[in-house]
Amino acid sequence: MEEMLAVFIASTLRLAMPLMLAASGELVSERAGVLNLSLEGMMLTAAFFGALGSWASGNPYLGVACAILASVVVSAVQAWLSVNLRANQLVVGIGFNILALGATTLLYRIIFGGLSREEIPGLPKLAVKGLSDLPFAGTAFFQQSVIVYVGLALIVLIWAMLNHTSFGLAVRAVGDEPRSADKAGIPVAATRWKAVLITGFMAGFAGAFISIADIHTFTENMTNGAGYLALAAVIFGGWNVGRTIAACLLFGAATALQFQLPAMGIHVPTAFLLMLPYLLALLAVAGVVGRLEPPTSLTLPFQRGK
Amino acid sequence: MTDRRRLLGMAVPFVAVLGSMIVGLLLIAASGKDVPDAIEAFMDGAFGSAFAIGASINRAVTLSLVGLGFILAFRANLTNVGGEGQIAVGGIAATALGLWPPIASLPLGLAVIVPLLGGTLAGAFWGGIAGFMKVRFGTNEVISTLLLGFVALLAVYWCVQSTALLRQPQTSSATLPESLQIADAAKLPSLTGNAESPLHIGLVICLLLAVATAIVLQRSTFGLRLRAIGLNELAARRAGMPGGIMMVVALAMAGAFGGLAGAIMLQGEQYYLKTGFSSGYGFDGLVVGLLSRGSTLGVLAGALFFGFLRSGGISMEIMAQVPAALTLVIQGLIVIAVAGSVILVEKLQGAR
Repeated sequence: MEEMLAVFIASTLRLAMPLMLAASGELVSERAGVLNLSLEGMMLTAAFFGALGSWASGNPYLGVACAILASVVVSAVQAWLSVNLRANQLVVGIGFNILALGATTLLYRIIFGGLSREEIPGLPKLAVKGLSDLPFAGTAFFQQSVIVYVGLALIVLIWAMLNHTSFGLAVRAVGDEPRSADKAGIPVAATRWKAVLITGFMAGFAGAFISIADIHTFTENMTNGAGYLALAAVIFGGWNVGRTIAACLLFGAATALQFQLPAMGIHVPTAFLLMLPYLLALLAVAGVVGRLEPPTSLTLPFQRGK
Repeated sequence: MTDRRRLLGMAVPFVAVLGSMIVGLLLIAASGKDVPDAIEAFMDGAFGSAFAIGASINRAVTLSLVGLGFILAFRANLTNVGGEGQIAVGGIAATALGLWPPIASLPLGLAVIVPLLGGTLAGAFWGGIAGFMKVRFGTNEVISTLLLGFVALLAVYWCVQSTALLRQPQTSSATLPESLQIADAAKLPSLTGNAESPLHIGLVICLLLAVATAIVLQRSTFGLRLRAIGLNELAARRAGMPGGIMMVVALAMAGAFGGLAGAIMLQGEQYYLKTGFSSGYGFDGLVVGLLSRGSTLGVLAGALFFGFLRSGGISMEIMAQVPAALTLVIQGLIVIAVAGSVILVEKLQGAR
């Protein structure tokens, strides 16, 4: 029983990881007033280019770099459209997701052909010395892929940045009161640009985690809605880092039940278990946790003097 | 000046479509495939035979319905991204009713009509949930319709996995996770009587609904109210309009169109339920709605374009080994280009 619980915690953490990475990045951008529905597309693009980079170079770390680069490029276009061209952020996001699905599928077919599942060099699991042998916590927490530890550190960094730096203050200012922020001399456009690029960076990490660290290959539409779950987690978390991470863990745990319950001999329809994260996300965005206040200027473009 | 402004507004989708198609051709060339071959395969699959044309128009019918629903809700400034899920629940309801013997024996075409209505109602319910959440909890409909979409797609999976629901009786281990075929009486009648062409009366239903939508949007109090709420919800409420109910109705109507589209897909061509039967039509219909700039004629034109594009794309994959995902790339580029050019167009229009 204890062993099972440890495995459950480990798989929860593994399944929640891409959500946590993507959601914490998206959080920064949303606090600055820009919603990236394209999160799904950024992650899928990253998963593909990460796999491609890792496969072509034989080096999974180079793969991670490719993933991040690809995702940051997508986020830069998103930032240009959202901030400079003041396009409808929701519509642009949908466009990116369609494009990312099409482009990654197309490129995969062209490069790898047909339906082959090319195995790519993946990141090793890192057993933390001394800790991985602990009876319970060892299995639960300390036999994860390298990227998990780096990712967790990045999430702590984002939390610190948002809450304890002047840049974090600027981000929150342009997300709530861009006009006042502008008058106070904070560059609204530049701050939003940086925030969206941070989202791209983290989504890149998330995508790399899925293809390089977790699955070790690329499959068509492999993110399969993870980006949307991450967006729901941000709402569930009330635009607060700690609560957003908690929401991701909850979604991860719901997904992990798919594997855990059958192993425990409990028979629940698979379809219901697959549905569970989305149902929870629906409840979350319906505000069962209390009505949540989004950043005041979320999705509203800013134009000086208007 | 208004003529010029309208022309500019209409030019954007055309330029976006044309530019994206050129990018598509460049991609075919870049992937080392023979471009004339690919174009020939495309034309053949889209227009090459009575079958191809019928299939393309049937696709356009599905896309039009989703697109019409989209522009109705969009008039109230509500973005329905849940077409895919609404098609799915519509398909489930139509299958369940189409398989139920008492319905199949109904006279006067009711065997066809009842499943169609069932699908429509299921879609309306699904869209209505998002409307309710918007009004009651302030949930952004984009997120809720998307999440409801995932739930609906998994509901299809559930239905065809479980014999207690819609899965066909399992006679051997090779029984596919699909429903039985719906009763013959529940299948949509052919429009042409020509066995070669899959064209069915869905086209007539779609055209009638398109006219109805145009009238509702342009000539009815309801249409005016939708627009008022879309422009300024607070002001509309102050003017005594039931803003909340209107929003629920708008999203339920969008969902109803999606549900009907699902029922028509199922009763018109597919005849049995299987996982993923909606295969992206919801998102394509959304694109059609976006490109139409709120015009019913625009929806029909866009749906025809994407219907033929899809047929051609599939044929290109089979005959010229160009992945059909190319059509997704083209669509994504079109959406981004149209959304991105809004400010540019406003500037040009303002500058005279």
